[in-house]
Amino acid sequence: MTESEKQVSRRDFLKLAAAAGVAFVVGAGAGYYAGSQKKPEVITKTVPGTPPTSPTPPPTSPTPTKSEVVIGVIAPMATKQGMVQRNAAELAIREINEAGGVLGMPVRLVWGDTKLNPDVAVSEFRRLVTVEKADFMTGGFSSGIMNAMMEPMAELKIPFLADASSPGHPAKVHEEYDKYKYWFRITQNNGATFAWDLADMFDMLDEKGYDVSHIYIIRDEHIWTDAVMSYLQPELDKRGITVAKDVKVGRGYTEYEPLLVEANDMGIQVVVPILAIAGTGDVLAKQWANLKLRLLLAGHDLAALDLGFYEATGGAAEGYIFLADGGVVNTAPPTDMCKQFIQNYTAQYGHPPEAHQGFGAYDAVYLFKKVVEMAHDDGVENPFDPDVVVQYLEKFNPDNPINLTRTIAFYPPGDKNKFDHDLVWGDNYVRNWISQWQNGKQYVIRGKIKNADMIEPPWF
Amino acid sequence: MVSINTVMIILLYGATFSGILALISSGFTLIFGVSRILNFAHGAFFMMGAYIGIYFVQQLNLDPILSSLISIILVGIFSIAAYITIIYPVIKNEVMTIIVTLALALLIEQVILLTYGEFGLSYPRLVAGTLTIGDVVIPMVRLTILAISILTILGLWIFIDRTRIGKEINAASQDPEGAILIGLNVNKIYAITIFVSAVLAALSGILYSQMYAANPFQILNSLILAFSIVILGGLGSVKGSIISSFIVGFIYIAVTTLIGARWSEFIALAIIIVILIVKPTGLFGVEE
Repeated sequence: MTESEKQVSRRDFLKLAAAAGVAFVVGAGAGYYAGSQKKPEVITKTVPGTPPTSPTPPPTSPTPTKSEVVIGVIAPMATKQGMVQRNAAELAIREINEAGGVLGMPVRLVWGDTKLNPDVAVSEFRRLVTVEKADFMTGGFSSGIMNAMMEPMAELKIPFLADASSPGHPAKVHEEYDKYKYWFRITQNNGATFAWDLADMFDMLDEKGYDVSHIYIIRDEHIWTDAVMSYLQPELDKRGITVAKDVKVGRGYTEYEPLLVEANDMGIQVVVPILAIAGTGDVLAKQWANLKLRLLLAGHDLAALDLGFYEATGGAAEGYIFLADGGVVNTAPPTDMCKQFIQNYTAQYGHPPEAHQGFGAYDAVYLFKKVVEMAHDDGVENPFDPDVVVQYLEKFNPDNPINLTRTIAFYPPGDKNKFDHDLVWGDNYVRNWISQWQNGKQYVIRGKIKNADMIEPPWF
Repeated sequence: MVSINTVMIILLYGATFSGILALISSGFTLIFGVSRILNFAHGAFFMMGAYIGIYFVQQLNLDPILSSLISIILVGIFSIAAYITIIYPVIKNEVMTIIVTLALALLIEQVILLTYGEFGLSYPRLVAGTLTIGDVVIPMVRLTILAISILTILGLWIFIDRTRIGKEINAASQDPEGAILIGLNVNKIYAITIFVSAVLAALSGILYSQMYAANPFQILNSLILAFSIVILGGLGSVKGSIISSFIVGFIYIAVTTLIGARWSEFIALAIIIVILIVKPTGLFGVEE
């Protein structure tokens, strides 16, 4: 065949490319339409297991016209991080309804799908509040989506116990309190706290005799890792640790082997991933285990939190040290309620919570119940009033935490780090526990809830 | 100053990455060159190879090599079925061909998402261990992938250039009507071509997931990458696709190693655009 005869004309090519574009639009539109047809569901069934809270007070009439309590969950429902939030909220609501509801009223779950798209997220948020009449919202995932949803939250004045780790969200509460005070972070600590836990990780490795004087960082090309680095650098300076190389990678990046070889050539002992957006921590772990270099892989990798991570890497994750974002690994529940939640969730769905966001959603529902009941007990006329809910949520501060699946407290308004309404970080609250994959399970290897000693990678 | 080690890393790692790119892009350009089918399901065949192989290993406990062979054949058969049922009825309409193959790709992506979820899945290793060349450590799996890629490309060249079927494919690609006049069954030739193309895609998917991981989003990512390479090489030119695969692969690894990972895709795509500005028909294309 001659080359000339194999060529397509430019006109043909443009025509074909245009058709491809049309097909993309048709496909995406069909997918969106199909997804948007899902209806919210009413929770009516009961769940096995013991409800972790005492029965609710007898029925009263906090607001004469109110006959039910509506809780909205909004998240990307095609992802584990989204599904786990819906499942966990559903479980909490079933338990609460079994125990008599909130102030005697039944609780109804409504949910929306962000589809990881800010426009969709905003529309869904608005629908849940204005059409479904949600009294309170929980959910999230992805900082950009959260930024977008904070606007309808502020406009509609709806309490929102949220997921997503960007420092930018509490900074908004700090800077425009009256507008954004309805926002609280329930799922995990401020992303900047990864720096403090990474610093603790370096201390641990130093104590165990590893050379952490020079580290090799592989991190997302994203603003969230810039925030982590800004908090991490002073901690590194304090410890005399030098960043030998700081490599930024984009979404879907997979060529980690040349980087690991380079780190090894530089005499590095610890490679520090700070990854979430890249989404390829499994590839990193696999290539790390393939090369079998004398390198520790120790950092924060969102993929490593996934329960299926070990299996997905074919066991290559053995010895991978990571931070347990959200404050829980299933082998080391920090509270009795957490242990009970994991049992009930497993009984209901056939597996433990598949992502840490489940703990946040479960806590959010119970926390909302708690503050409404506190307000009612104090004789507040409308305990569901958003400003009242905010006022009572703020009562759970570092001096007055509440034990749910984690020990929850919020930084008060005016925080010096601009962490207003953020989860309080620390051993006695929620923190990103230093954890490790060992024999297919996640264990905490340092701190108050440590349940295993650190092991070395199998080839060391 | 670039050290010898760095050069070795670029050469060794660049060659293996390029090998996979060459396999997937040569299959994509082959079916287009022969039948003018712009097969947007090619990326789906790429990932199907990986996922079907993983299924046989995980669910049926088959040997990874046997699973790979079965998977490759199944994807090839599936491609013929797709040709007969959805491509052939619209083959004369190039726009519809694109739409139905893209729809097929999106459908397969949804099936994988529903079955395995969105996270990466590792293909059980065909080979383990590392080899040190100079001071550079390289996993055996990379070298194996490079060897398989080179052997497959050679096999493809022999198939097209030296076998009777290959010569028929050549004839049909040059003049379909002439081929019919001399008694060749062009539909059969197209079906064989799409089979070969799908086999190349499935094989490259298996090799890719050996080195990286199977991931449903690679269906569209790989398609875009293959498309870029094929345009760079000259649409329809197998030789052009193979050479441009190595250009892109080496640029990608060189940029990752010398400048930084964040720039690798940007610079690779920028160079492709520059080359196309200088030579709009691609490296091995000819003016209309």
